Amino acid sequence: MLLNRKSYLYQMIKSELTWIVGDDYVQSDDAEKLGHSIDYYWVPEVWHDRGQKLTGPDFIVHPKTAEEVSKILQVANTHKIPVTPWGGGAGSQGGALPIYGGIALDTKRMNKVLNIDPISMTVTAETGIIAQHLEWEVNKAGFSTMHFPASIACSTLGGFIAHRGTGVLSTKYGKIEDMITSMEVVTPTGDIINTLPVPRHASGPDLAQLFLGSEGTLGVVTKATMKIHPIPESRKFHAFLFSNMHDGLEAGAKIMTSRLNPSVIRLYDNPETAKLIKRVLGIDRVGSYLVFGFDGPEEVVDIQLEKACEICSEHGIEDLGTESGQVWWDNRYKFYYPPYMFQLPQAFGTLDTVADFSHIEAVYHAMHDAVKEQYPKAAYIGHFSHWYDWGCMLYARFIIEQPPQDPEEAVALYNRIWDAAIRAAISNGGVINEHHGVGLKLGRMMRDLYGPAFKVLEGIKKTLDPNNIMNPGKLGFSGY
Amino acid sequence: MNMDKHLKVIDACRFCFMCRHLAPLALVTGKETDTPRGRALIADQIRMNKENLKNQDYVQALYQADLSGACRTHCVSSYDEVGLVLELRKDIVDAGVQPQAVKDFAQQFINPSFTITGEGDVLYFNHPCIKVHAPEMKAAFDKLAPKHKTIEGNDCGTALQILGYQKQADEAAEKFVKAVKESGCKTLVVPQPAAFHFIKSKNLLPDVKVLNTAEFLLTLDIPKKSGTLWPIDSDFLKNYQKNNAPRELLEKLGYKLKEFGITHEESYTCGEGSMTMVFLYPENVSKLVERVREFAERYEAGTLVVASPYTKLALRTYAPELDVISVEEAAAR
Repeated sequence: MLLNRKSYLYQMIKSELTWIVGDDYVQSDDAEKLGHSIDYYWVPEVWHDRGQKLTGPDFIVHPKTAEEVSKILQVANTHKIPVTPWGGGAGSQGGALPIYGGIALDTKRMNKVLNIDPISMTVTAETGIIAQHLEWEVNKAGFSTMHFPASIACSTLGGFIAHRGTGVLSTKYGKIEDMITSMEVVTPTGDIINTLPVPRHASGPDLAQLFLGSEGTLGVVTKATMKIHPIPESRKFHAFLFSNMHDGLEAGAKIMTSRLNPSVIRLYDNPETAKLIKRVLGIDRVGSYLVFGFDGPEEVVDIQLEKACEICSEHGIEDLGTESGQVWWDNRYKFYYPPYMFQLPQAFGTLDTVADFSHIEAVYHAMHDAVKEQYPKAAYIGHFSHWYDWGCMLYARFIIEQPPQDPEEAVALYNRIWDAAIRAAISNGGVINEHHGVGLKLGRMMRDLYGPAFKVLEGIKKTLDPNNIMNPGKLGFSGY
Repeated sequence: MNMDKHLKVIDACRFCFMCRHLAPLALVTGKETDTPRGRALIADQIRMNKENLKNQDYVQALYQADLSGACRTHCVSSYDEVGLVLELRKDIVDAGVQPQAVKDFAQQFINPSFTITGEGDVLYFNHPCIKVHAPEMKAAFDKLAPKHKTIEGNDCGTALQILGYQKQADEAAEKFVKAVKESGCKTLVVPQPAAFHFIKSKNLLPDVKVLNTAEFLLTLDIPKKSGTLWPIDSDFLKNYQKNNAPRELLEKLGYKLKEFGITHEESYTCGEGSMTMVFLYPENVSKLVERVREFAERYEAGTLVVASPYTKLALRTYAPELDVISVEEAAAR
């Protein structure tokens, strides 16, 4: 879109938006545009760093209610302006970038907890609430969401819903799509709809699962009800060292297939153990560091912990004990703060994917080889951080210490590595992504992943969003 | 440029979102420019092209900053984004491109004079924020410690420094120090937390014992109290000075303290860290106060107790129905 700021059409649209949300909540100044032109995706970061011109929105609009969202979308349809929802803006896939200008629909004023139901153990909240605030408010009532992602401090509930996010205790408590029980959604044409009040039924297809992970392309989720849990009586962790990742993977898989119920298992490969576990946790060992944890009634925790320790003792070379597990829990977010997190001038990407236990190790090696083939000097590290009954998630990363100075060359190299690594994952039984989403970064691979089924998604998109106003160019859907 | 002292902060904060949940103003405006990341991005634009210092959109964003310091307290590496903004303001003033409202407001603090009255070994700084906006705080102090001298006349340079007027701030501080020395007192009580931090952090009076009000009252024998209070901590005491004296005093007095809001980490001071927001950007303060009012209602808070006259002024102005007292008043009850 990128309207001429001096044109009268620009002023007409700004007036319409102002009438909906008020003067204070429509911005078009340089400072606010800058803030909404960069998310946590490496490409706009390097674009900014190298002094390139960034693409920002024409307007930033902050609605307070679903009704205001509806009216904004109606204005956007009238003028055929793209609308890009923006929550915390902390996504790593470029999903919230207003790449065609238009309206950045910032949801953070919709940030209220509406109801805590202690009988059904659910909380209903507006989706612009930051996950940490939601957790604190639920804590005040004596419960927990058990949703502890690394971005808990900076991402909104809506952001997690949009990108199928997950937290460190997902192995027991599930990903966001397992936590949500119902949602209110404003469709691209401005209808305010609700999914069914419960997540399990035999009353047709599950609309909630359609909007979960739709990344703002099918509408704006404005309210959500999610499960809450009692604060566990006991929460314990334990760590082991394995001589190699393969042994650690076998142990982790055995814990899961034995149908123990850990809240978390996290296995770091040898390079990441050497690099990050040493730097962040101060545990200096050669091998693969594995930590697991259980929560619940103390006697249940103790029994499960004992069983898991027995499994790990079969292959582990060193029992690091409870203290080395607890230190991981206490510092679980520290990995993501500067200077512990990778940052420019480094080029880095999180190649997260998921596969069943039969394929996950092959996926790890295939991605490793693909990265090295594209750029031999790139470092490749990874950990396995969200475990299921049938498989686990791989959080692999590539790091290039000195990418090309020229931003176009740097981005071209970056995209080549992503392309090769993700295609290697797909061809070995993995998928594009496990919990960060697709966004702008990986949209080009959606057709490969889905095959002919992608037409089904495109058909849904065209039906719900006939003017293609909602977050165009993301999730593999057509641009504006 | 002054901002060059904090280039590492720009590198750390420009793409980091990890403290946005504690950016008080951003929580009520939803604006990215009201977060440390948003301001670090602006700083980076200025670093790359000095002409951007003249961009009034950027300048306004930097002057609207709440400066609560909650981000720095939360950050595992304590990156000083507050310090970055303060240095940028100096660069803005040096370039003469500060907003007209800032220029006008700063005038009242330039070239101050101070007078000393009363008798005693203790000197009480009757800061203009207290004298004009919260005289009941001084009245409560007088009741508890009637024998003291009082210094008054103006701010001691704090506001000027926060607004970026470094040279004028230093001159004001020099006059203040001279007046304190002439008083002969070896104990100075500073009830305005911003001024307390200014004097302490610059070590303006190495030969004088500088205390905030709560620290001083802890040395007195005050009768026990009862009842429940909901403290709202001062940004300057909690996040800048790591000083917990107000809570220690209230607990020593026998009050039961309940945590206000949803977390101890968040700032509920309504912009105290900026010292001037209530005068320069009242529309932002009204939004911050609304959040406090919402939490007070939702969690059925009773009497709020504040350590800062600024916060008392903000709450009294925009939420007069709330029951708000100062630490001094709680002690003098």
